Amino acid sequence: MFEFFFSYPARVYEKGQFVLLGGWPVWVLAVFAVVLALALAWPYFQSRRDAAIRVKGWHAGVLWALQAAMAILLLSLLWQPALLVATLKPQQNVVAVIVDDSKSMAIADEGKTRAEAAKEILNAGLLDSLKKQFQVRLYKVGRSLERLEKVEDVQATQTATRLSDALRGVAAESASVPVGAIILLSDGGENSGGIDLATISEVRSRRIPVHTVGLGREKYDRDLEIVSVDVPSRALADSRITAQVTLRQTGYSKSKVTLTLRDGSKILGQQTMVLKADGEPQTESILFNAGPAGPKALQIGVAPLDNEENRANNQVTRLVNVEATKPRILYIEGEPKWEYKFIRRALEDDKTVSITSMLRTTQNKIYRQGVAEPKELEGGFPDKAEDLFQYQGLIIGGVEIGYFTVAQQELIRQFVDRRGGGLLFLGGRNALSDGGWGRSGLLDLVPVTVTDRRDTFKRQRAKVQLALGGRDSLITRLVENPEANVERWKQLPEVENFQETGAPKPGAMVLAEFLAGGKAWPLLATQNYGRGRSAILASAGTWRWQMLQPLEDKSHEVFWAQLCRWLVTASPARVTASTPRQVLTDETKVQIRAEVRDKNYLPVSDAKVQARVLLPDGSAEMIEMRAEPMSAGQYVATWDAEKPGAYVAEIVAKRGEEELGADLFNFRREDGIAENFGSEQNRELLEKLSSQTGGVYYTRATAEKLAKDVSYSEAGITVREAKDLWNLPIVFFMILLLRATEWMLRRKWGVV
Amino acid sequence: MRFRKWIFSLILAFAVISAMYAQRGRRGGFDEDGAPLITPADADEKTEFVFSRLRYPSSRGGGGYWGVRGSWTTDYPKADRQFVQGVRRLSRIHVRSTEDVVDLDSDEIFNHPWIYAVEVGHWDLNEKQAAKLREYLLKGGFLMVDDFHGSIEWEVFTSSLSRVFPDRPVVDLANKEPVFHVLYDLDDRFQIPGIVMFYTGQTYEQDGVDAKWRGVFDDKGRLMVGICHNMDIGDAWEHADMPRYPEHYASLAYRIGINYIMYAMTH
Repeated sequence: MFEFFFSYPARVYEKGQFVLLGGWPVWVLAVFAVVLALALAWPYFQSRRDAAIRVKGWHAGVLWALQAAMAILLLSLLWQPALLVATLKPQQNVVAVIVDDSKSMAIADEGKTRAEAAKEILNAGLLDSLKKQFQVRLYKVGRSLERLEKVEDVQATQTATRLSDALRGVAAESASVPVGAIILLSDGGENSGGIDLATISEVRSRRIPVHTVGLGREKYDRDLEIVSVDVPSRALADSRITAQVTLRQTGYSKSKVTLTLRDGSKILGQQTMVLKADGEPQTESILFNAGPAGPKALQIGVAPLDNEENRANNQVTRLVNVEATKPRILYIEGEPKWEYKFIRRALEDDKTVSITSMLRTTQNKIYRQGVAEPKELEGGFPDKAEDLFQYQGLIIGGVEIGYFTVAQQELIRQFVDRRGGGLLFLGGRNALSDGGWGRSGLLDLVPVTVTDRRDTFKRQRAKVQLALGGRDSLITRLVENPEANVERWKQLPEVENFQETGAPKPGAMVLAEFLAGGKAWPLLATQNYGRGRSAILASAGTWRWQMLQPLEDKSHEVFWAQLCRWLVTASPARVTASTPRQVLTDETKVQIRAEVRDKNYLPVSDAKVQARVLLPDGSAEMIEMRAEPMSAGQYVATWDAEKPGAYVAEIVAKRGEEELGADLFNFRREDGIAENFGSEQNRELLEKLSSQTGGVYYTRATAEKLAKDVSYSEAGITVREAKDLWNLPIVFFMILLLRATEWMLRRKWGVV
Repeated sequence: MRFRKWIFSLILAFAVISAMYAQRGRRGGFDEDGAPLITPADADEKTEFVFSRLRYPSSRGGGGYWGVRGSWTTDYPKADRQFVQGVRRLSRIHVRSTEDVVDLDSDEIFNHPWIYAVEVGHWDLNEKQAAKLREYLLKGGFLMVDDFHGSIEWEVFTSSLSRVFPDRPVVDLANKEPVFHVLYDLDDRFQIPGIVMFYTGQTYEQDGVDAKWRGVFDDKGRLMVGICHNMDIGDAWEHADMPRYPEHYASLAYRIGINYIMYAMTH
């Protein structure tokens, strides 16, 4: 229809540049148009003097507008309007046709497989049409880009789709051959992390339009897919951790399903859930015990549902390295307190953290417990970074700020900010405001505002409750069920005392509150600070949870163990290694990153950092890591994991003869997985790719137009054509329409 | 009618005696020597630590809480108050100037993680009280017992203690135990006599010739019950201000007491 009225394909109008080919200047056209319009208005103006022929005011206006439009339209045709458009020179350009050869193209969701649909589109005349005008190069893309002799060679068997690599490959070829356009037939199931900006920029810089033909259904009728799973890559032995699982489904709304997390055949956690509306992402948490130290490959998913169209996207694997280390917490307390004793008792059996404490028993005497060797802390609170930074967590009980020297105060800040440790403030008669912290430079480490008042610590019992932020927190989870947990907190015995503080600071989160004077006050609040984190527990009286509850109740121990684990779990070692993706699904490239710091946790940029990768077959490979120029202390390496299986990477950093530290992580390559996920047509990706490169997105039904559109490109060898507009059928119809409308109105209004 | 008068008189007399007895508490009244008690100005101060004296039923005096001698009230309250003055002066423990009295018939005891029981050679705990004391100790409470002497009182003491812990042994404490080092190093301990030595001329009572430092541990090796047998630390606290009472006894008694409290607050 469009071409019937406008003579040329829509693409000509999109790509073309409007010009007036007539030799006269445009301003002459403008002057003529104005004069003509005024001249046509004159008779109506004159008619006002003669009542016999006078035309009603707005009738005159409409008739004048129709006549003027008609006159100006005809006048403008004299200036020869046209579209200047670049077109590919016949037989001198290459058109690259890329067919997706990944496994997802074997899905038969529209009566035939997507690969068959692609072949059908090409063989139904598109390839022949293209060959008449251009040299056609046929490719298939899976893990990499490959040239094809014939379309039939597309098998749809490859385990990954790397569209970015394919586009970059063709763009690179355009340096030697004139590539005029790229035609991509795919379901958009890109699984190497999307098409990156650099690829788009490269294609755009060469002005190559990418036309896409979307294949496959855009939405399944009945399917459930695990969209993402967030689980910490490291955990302490026997600690409780959470997996955040996001899934999406169609066709099973309001059904009840069970999300299961298992380590081999052992079920570690389960969560029953009711599925939300179709297409709506739904996130659920599964709480589970990390168990003993060692690498764990966790399978997280939902059992296949009845009549599910794709059953292979219900489960994913994630790796968690459960570490055997036992992080240490230094607890300094300003005076003997029951809380001190009961915190120590709560953590005594804990396998994940150890607590070293120093208690000021008299004015000049410190009682040390849990020291690793007799001389540890002998001189009091550490005044050297390397002494303090050996701990992963720090608890400051009721200690007045004046007890710490200015240098020690700065060390405490650096402990959190630079070392990345966790700091917990406890309430007490010499804590926070009452201990002079309100005017100290360390105030910003406290997650709540602290005033100058000195009477904020009250020896008065208070009920406690979970705050909104504590409902999803692992620190405050005393029982598995979140709703039951809220009730459990209400049943806890009152705390023996409390410390009044101000409101939480921006970015801080209140997890629990105490009730006093008819209002709720922050009891437990946390925040991130620098590379570390800090918290406040505004009481020294949780020991009543131990003494006032039945002997078998473990809520006091559980609370303190979880709070202390939170304090230390994310405290980095001097050398930390990581990879962005621990499970490589149908890809080989693994990026190894390491951060190297010295004893004072200052970045080290002149270290020799090596990664020793243990392969699935037991052999090992050494990789030299290079320092990143703009990021002090950061080292990177990229390596190919050529075989599927489990790998271990051990990273060792040295400076001269000194070993700065070592770290290890696990990763795993799994094949035949990626194509099972996101297997519906990703139309959004294909449309975006086309629109950003100047191409067009086509469906199976509209793909026939492709042969005509492909000529209009500014890449390759082009000529600029002027397409006349004066002879468009639409112009003729406009003239007819204007005249007919005027004639009908005159008859209706009785205007001669 | 006559009978009614008798009954009324009896009730009145009981009420007066009870009221006087109650005055033996920290609100005025008289101490064990009959001296008037002066309530300290800061008696109501809220503190971290309160000296908590265990009121227990005694086998002497017909049972119940009302034994006249050999009961939980021995040295009360002067010993308690004089001792906590020393605790205040010698440590950073925030302690109240007056004591509390707790028993094993209510859950209030769980708010007092350290308790002191005197003359336990006469205590007589029933099963319910023994179970509560067991629960209290296993949760983290601490009991210091003192002022009982010789083998007969030991038998009485252990008779009730065995109801608390039927299968947990009483052991002699070695010098290396943290309770003897937590604040003061107390390797050289000696028998601390009560003021009865002024009348008998000997530092021991009955057949309790040698001081015994004993205890009961929990499964993790933490001392739950500190047993001071054949000595009278309470008397040493009470009479520390007596010119005749030797200073070295009082001094050791204070150190022992402070160490037991400090141990209870750290283990």
